[in-house]
Amino acid sequence: MITLKELEPLAKLSRIELSDADKASLLKEFDSILGYVDQLKKVDVSMDAEGRVGAVRNVMRQDKAEDTSPEDRERLLKEAPHREGDFIAVKKIIAQD
Amino acid sequence: MKIDLANLTIAKAHEHLKKGDFTSVELTQAYLDEINKKNSDVNAYLEVFKDALDQAKAADELIKSGKGTLLTGIPCAIKDNILIKGRIASSASKILENYHATYDATVIERLKKEGVVFLGRTNMDEFAMGGSTENSAYGVTRNPHDLERVAGGSSGGSAAAVAMNGALFSLGTDTGGSVRQPASLCGIVGLKATYGAISRYGAMAMAASLNQIAPLARTVTDCETVYNIIRGADAKDSVTITDDTYPKKRIGKKKPVIGVPRHFLSGDGIDKDTMKAFNASMEKYQSMGYEVKEIKLPNISYALMVYYIVMPAEISSDLARFDGVKYGLHIDGKDVIEDYFKTRRTGFGKEVIRRILLGTYVLSSGYYDAYYNRANAVRRMITEDFLKAFEGVDLIATPTAPGPAFKIGEKANDPISMYLEDIFTVTANITGMPAISIPCGTSRKEGKDLPVGLQLTARHGDEKTLFEVGKEFLGE
Repeated sequence: MITLKELEPLAKLSRIELSDADKASLLKEFDSILGYVDQLKKVDVSMDAEGRVGAVRNVMRQDKAEDTSPEDRERLLKEAPHREGDFIAVKKIIAQD
Repeated sequence: MKIDLANLTIAKAHEHLKKGDFTSVELTQAYLDEINKKNSDVNAYLEVFKDALDQAKAADELIKSGKGTLLTGIPCAIKDNILIKGRIASSASKILENYHATYDATVIERLKKEGVVFLGRTNMDEFAMGGSTENSAYGVTRNPHDLERVAGGSSGGSAAAVAMNGALFSLGTDTGGSVRQPASLCGIVGLKATYGAISRYGAMAMAASLNQIAPLARTVTDCETVYNIIRGADAKDSVTITDDTYPKKRIGKKKPVIGVPRHFLSGDGIDKDTMKAFNASMEKYQSMGYEVKEIKLPNISYALMVYYIVMPAEISSDLARFDGVKYGLHIDGKDVIEDYFKTRRTGFGKEVIRRILLGTYVLSSGYYDAYYNRANAVRRMITEDFLKAFEGVDLIATPTAPGPAFKIGEKANDPISMYLEDIFTVTANITGMPAISIPCGTSRKEGKDLPVGLQLTARHGDEKTLFEVGKEFLGE
């Protein structure tokens, strides 16, 4: 039902490396899961898809930075795999040529 | 006095602590001894906290000073996806193996205020994805009633910890049945409250429109006690509700009316003994003066399909944050992009990868309408069916799971048969309604009597009826 050509871009979008063996087993599992959920296509849908669970409503707040204590900042930075001083370090993302 | 862990409840322990029959240090030690004896077999705990006795000492001080509450000095277990500041929280995943929580979840903050004792963090399916705790990166949790069998999932460790007398209560999370199903398989009580009743601030996100933190305990009364402490509005989780969000309603004049969707319980996928225990429970309610009547939920058979579209769709964005940059595992590639690909491939387990990809698929252009939009429309139809049913009844009863605990490995290679474990529980997450699982009998398998749970679902905001009817059933 789903082809290798469809699966590969999904892995790319999801930023997950897949081996050929991964792909083969995923294709099989996808067929079984999609075969199951495809039964939904039989439903005579009488409502629109307004997403809502119970009495949940939209809550707004200011998009404002709050002060973080030096201890909190240190605690957060300590979890980063690579850091330089008070920064999280990543590889260079702009190539020179 | 000798502490009888097998028959202890929060209320009883509290009385003993208050009277000075034993201290929280002694009680905590009794649990640590029991964990020490059983955890190498059961694997309920991923870590037992070294400072548990120090926490108990502090609780004893609080009790002595007269400032103790019902939960002061009570030992509990916390699922590995709920943050306790400074402690490891890994979601049973390799990607967070050495991650230390940088803040307390709201529920933890509230429990700390009561002076509970955190014994340790419990095993689970990786990122709460699974129904058997077999998807943990740190080994399966075994059912204390039969070590050959699973404890259920995803909160299998939290259920097994209570069932093996390794904690007085525990917290799990429930996105499609992840607290109620393991409670059923382990013979204890599990409550998934109304969507928004309990703050999720500090619980690792898994499908935000479905997910809730949920208590497990041996009795309905204990579940209610814990629920009353951890529930309530929280500015840090904007979907939390207040006591008057939903109107109160009751159909039954003397006792609540129970509805049974018989048309949904006739499939051959349901274990015979489980159905027998369920039918006996309905007869028991009738003999206690309850009216039990048949109801129709026309679209309920689509609930699990809706769940397996909405849930992975939300997961695919929830788990985008694990990139090997800000925290957790980092695997080096030749550039930043390759770092992502390698980190996520190495850090995530099979089921997690499967669901991320599935979610990406159902949200991708060309399929969005056919899957995600359609699923949300059917989700509304199912919710309307329930609301309509609640015009004639106060509770809806089904078994919690289609059968008792299954053998380890039995369903591991067949995603659909594993997913069917959630067939009765997902509806409460889809509709946002509260549901409880209480032990109602046993199913005999290979000479062993395995626990079976009864699930009761109530209107939005009506946990009160679940507690009332659950307590009467168990004679509390």
